[in-house]
Amino acid sequence: MNPVLVLGGGPAGLSAAGELASLGAPTILVEREGYLGGNPKRWHYSLLAPDLRPTEEVMDPLLGKIEGNSRIELRLSTTLAKAEPVEKGYRVTLRSAGALEERDVSSVIVATGFDHFDSRRKFEYGYGRYPDVLDFKEIEIMLHEDRVLRPSDGKPPKRMAWILCVGSRDVQVGNPWCCRMGCVVSIKQAVEVRRKHPEIDAYVYYMDIRTYGLWEDLYWKSMQEYGVKFVRGRIGQITLAEGGSRLMATGEDTILSRPTEVPFDMIILASGMEPSAGTKEVATLFGLSVGPEGFLTPRISDLNPVDSGVPGLFFAGAATGPKAIPDAITEGMGAALRAFQYARD
Amino acid sequence: MSVVAHLPRRAQSLTEEEAESPPAMELTGRHRMSEDERTVAATIFDEFHADPRYREFVLGCLNCGECTTGCPAARFYDFSPREMLQIAATGDATTLWDALQEKIWACCQCYTCNMRCRFGNDIAGIISVMRELSVIHGLESTRRTLAPFGRSLTLLMTVGTQVSSDMIQPDFFRDWGPFATGSDQVWQVTPEVMRKAIPLDVLQTTRSSWEVSVQTSLELFRIYEETGVLDMLRGLDPDLTEMLVDIVEERREEFAEARERFSSELAGQRGPVATFTG
Ligand code: SF4
Ligand code: SF4
Ligand code: SF4
Repeated sequence: MNPVLVLGGGPAGLSAAGELASLGAPTILVEREGYLGGNPKRWHYSLLAPDLRPTEEVMDPLLGKIEGNSRIELRLSTTLAKAEPVEKGYRVTLRSAGALEERDVSSVIVATGFDHFDSRRKFEYGYGRYPDVLDFKEIEIMLHEDRVLRPSDGKPPKRMAWILCVGSRDVQVGNPWCCRMGCVVSIKQAVEVRRKHPEIDAYVYYMDIRTYGLWEDLYWKSMQEYGVKFVRGRIGQITLAEGGSRLMATGEDTILSRPTEVPFDMIILASGMEPSAGTKEVATLFGLSVGPEGFLTPRISDLNPVDSGVPGLFFAGAATGPKAIPDAITEGMGAALRAFQYARD
Repeated sequence: MSVVAHLPRRAQSLTEEEAESPPAMELTGRHRMSEDERTVAATIFDEFHADPRYREFVLGCLNCGECTTGCPAARFYDFSPREMLQIAATGDATTLWDALQEKIWACCQCYTCNMRCRFGNDIAGIISVMRELSVIHGLESTRRTLAPFGRSLTLLMTVGTQVSSDMIQPDFFRDWGPFATGSDQVWQVTPEVMRKAIPLDVLQTTRSSWEVSVQTSLELFRIYEETGVLDMLRGLDPDLTEMLVDIVEERREEFAEARERFSSELAGQRGPVATFTG
């Protein structure tokens, strides 16, 4: 059997490659970065919502299945340069460090994932301009290392705010979709802060709280047990206050129907999920249709979210839309099974 | 008296005396409508929803409040673009009627709300549709509201602007000036850049912002005539309209004479002068 090609070494790709190996299929795992683990690794995710489980507890077993596995050929710092359909599967060209290599593969799993929204594009929040305005990309590592300090002066904050839906549900930046995780992750972060530093006030500004299913529990607990405060309405702009030493958040409290202006020491933007650069490249290379959102579209997503509709090509994870880690892992398993069946038959 | 004097201040609560004697104009819910008013309100409601701009401007609303955040009017008055959009999207004839009485006039048409709206609504636009309807139907409240604005209207109709640069109060517009930002790139406007971008006399005096060439002002007036704006205004304030027509007629004559002089001076030297029939 020709090997199965897995594109992307995040949770979905790791899960797919691990499953394929345990099914006995030879697998090539291609990752464009020089390390495995995808966004959770790249941005040093701290605890995972909703169970407040350290990210390592989820990522390490996934990684453990890959490393040293004789059935998996690991190709880091490698990208896909070309893909041609052959009678069964694809003839692909891999590029690493400028060198090209042609390989025949029996099927392909696209697990190219998402990128966090670049919060600079929402310029009214001053991300990239005011050091104490952060987004998910920076706050997770701070929580991970337990040093929640203002980048501007290294002092601990007294009052923090989270602004949900930054780069999501917003046609101004061209991203009308919901990121699915921003609410629960923000709440989790606020809980992490309050658990360790109860002296820090935590406010979450929201237009809807979407902690669907059992995630709702953390939302309730965040108020009941950790005293996180929720304000219904959005912050529309951040400016400097008190001689530049604090941030001024201007918004509307839509329950009280009045404008608000509150000074904060640190503000966290719940930066959403966009199709990653790799996802866009793969769409072009395979001539795949993408939805209006730019994510890959499964043939019938309700029936089989891993089925691309193209023979020998399967999807897994956030390449087809915002997804939480467990969903990405499950899809990795599903895609592995389908790719294996296709390669075998 | 300014339009906003009617509106209760946001920051302070009403004193007992104020609460007992409501402002000259009745606000939402307090006013019992007459049969005639009800009929007009129903007509306005239908016309509002039939307006082709309605479906283009009012798309839906997440009630996020970001439009209100940047709204200068919302900072001072019991008014918010979110409320206006809600009334446009879900209000009935009575709520629309109530908004038309006064609130719509608190907006200064700066369009910040549009820039902020994540749903892509044209809130400033729908407010101006509401205003148009209240003017077209010659609402008594509109007449009263606009009465103190003869000077502004005159300027708008003859010059095209009535805002001057000294009206800008930096404290109220934190996102303006040195901290202004452009789409993707972060840049700062230094006083040096500002001085280059804006002519010095404009920075120092307001008078020059009202200076406009005769030809431009006549073209503007022609637009008002052709698009029916002048007729709308006539229905609301015939006296002011006649005065404006007089002013413009006089300018047209002056302009015609000047053109005459100019072209006879140029005769034989150059080709024909561009014709303008203002
Ligand atoms: S999950 Fe929450 S933060 Fe993310 S877009 Fe949806 S509502 Fe906004
Ligand atoms: S256009 Fe009117 S409603 Fe919109 S922000 Fe400006 S003043 Fe407020
Ligand atoms: S910004 Fe747009 S979506 Fe948000 S409240 Fe205003 S009108 Fe509604």
